[in-house]
Amino acid sequence: MSRRALRTFYNLLALSLSGLATAIGLFFLGAILWTLIKNGVGGMSLSVFTAMTPPPGSSGGLLNAIYGSVVMTLIGILIGGPVGMLAGTYLAEYGRTSRLSMVVRFVNDVLLSAPSIIIGLFVYELLVVRMGHFSALAGAVALAIIAIPVTVRTTEDMLNLVPQGMKDASTAMGAYPWRTITSVIYPAARSGIVTGLLLAIARISGETAPLLFTALNNQFWSSNLGAPMANLPVVIFQFALSPYPNWQQLAWSGALLITLSILVLSVAARVVVSSLAQGGKR
Amino acid sequence: MSESGTPGPRDPQTAAAATPAGPGASPGSADAAVLRHLKPSGRVPAPAVPEPAVVDPVFSCRNVSVFYGAKEALKGVTLDVGRRQVLAMIGPSGCGKSTFLRCLNRMNDTIAGARVSGTILLDGQDIQDPSQDAAQLRARIGMVFQKPNPFPKSIYDNVAYGPRIHGMSRSRSQLDDIVCTSLQRAGLWDEVKDRLTTPGTGLSGGQQQRLCIARTIAVQPEVILMDEPCSALDPVATARIEDLIDELRESYAIVIVTHSMQQAARVSQRTAYFHLGELIEVGETDRVFTNPRHRLTEDYITGRFG
Repeated sequence: MSRRALRTFYNLLALSLSGLATAIGLFFLGAILWTLIKNGVGGMSLSVFTAMTPPPGSSGGLLNAIYGSVVMTLIGILIGGPVGMLAGTYLAEYGRTSRLSMVVRFVNDVLLSAPSIIIGLFVYELLVVRMGHFSALAGAVALAIIAIPVTVRTTEDMLNLVPQGMKDASTAMGAYPWRTITSVIYPAARSGIVTGLLLAIARISGETAPLLFTALNNQFWSSNLGAPMANLPVVIFQFALSPYPNWQQLAWSGALLITLSILVLSVAARVVVSSLAQGGKR
Repeated sequence: MSESGTPGPRDPQTAAAATPAGPGASPGSADAAVLRHLKPSGRVPAPAVPEPAVVDPVFSCRNVSVFYGAKEALKGVTLDVGRRQVLAMIGPSGCGKSTFLRCLNRMNDTIAGARVSGTILLDGQDIQDPSQDAAQLRARIGMVFQKPNPFPKSIYDNVAYGPRIHGMSRSRSQLDDIVCTSLQRAGLWDEVKDRLTTPGTGLSGGQQQRLCIARTIAVQPEVILMDEPCSALDPVATARIEDLIDELRESYAIVIVTHSMQQAARVSQRTAYFHLGELIEVGETDRVFTNPRHRLTEDYITGRFG
């Protein structure tokens, strides 16, 4: 075989293999989405959004679970977002190459990949055992702990993207570091930071294991942060494992709902990023 | 060995005409100190003719060295910056001219592992004194960078940034005045007066650089440092900036780093030639370009090297 033909062959081989790998990945993604939509859409009705989770055999909805998920995700991001942003700011602007920064960065990466069930158990020990009962607050804290490393990482990455020249310009004007950060660096990195927060929300809104040990579940409507609270992931977990058809159907609907919400958040994050890219070009 | 200590108003003509090893080589002269410093290396034939001292300098730098970790980027530079004149610093890349510039407003503080030794006096005050607040110091020294770097804010807010952080205006109308005057002095007002609220990043490269100059002079600094301010600009924009430098010279001391020898010759009154971290020669621009005293300077300005 001539050299040229050999190269063409290798090229074709590499192209087919990577094409195949892509196809396999897309196939499973498509299959999951298709199964979700096929089984979930049938159960989608107004009552899903207006009625409480039902006892076996009777009809109902997911209102309390949706409410619980939204509340705990919001509190989680309200606690985790600022902590993560400030830590990311420290790493990018103050600590940089200091020993403390190296340690924090390493620990953060470990936390980023820690199994979420460990975090659930940690908060169980920390809050649930001491309070004597499961609670929405414990759930929100568990979610916050998951949101922190995500936010730390994205904030640091986004702040590092701000051109050094812009930071130098502010420093040379006689601005103190904190002034430079709030007046120049944050505005320059705003879209990126918002994207990071959206991705953190997407990440924690689907977490099940940490809530299982903390917020548990609630058959009824509850807005008491000190008491167990229903939430979509745990409801899906319980209902999907149950032998009752109406519960199983609600689990499918809930799963579709979460997937769609995360999809919307991810798309929103993409839109924000592309508007950032355009803003940078102007 | 303070230059300002012996402000003998020597006649520049006499000093320039003096033969090497002439009588001007008094040990009290700053440039004599530089030359003495160079002698032991034996690399450079040192014609010990000092330049006329700068009378009442803004910056008086003595034996300034900068280390980045173990690397000595600047080696014992002694140099003065005069008032209401432009000092150009030329030399091949990596010769230490930008490093020296960044000493003058303590921007080297922001680089991890950088260490500055020697004395730098601004109006007789040691700027490296631990009690000297770097941010307060930088408010008195403007800096224009190689790449135009407007903030991601409106044109107005870019210029108002300095006055705001230093609390220089008591009312909105006073701030309006500062912004307007600064843009006028930077020669940008007519081009942007109808779009002050649009982003500064939307301007052309040359306009952005003039915006950065307007932002710098808005806080009325005593000195303006410019680090290759025209290297990212086309010839037309460059000419505008050079005209602007010429006008600003009437009110400010300006130190400019440039890779363009023509630019140094056009805009400056004094020129300093740096080589491998050492100050080789400093003097009146006309003299340095027509009658360089060092072979290294001559090689560089005639294009044989660098």
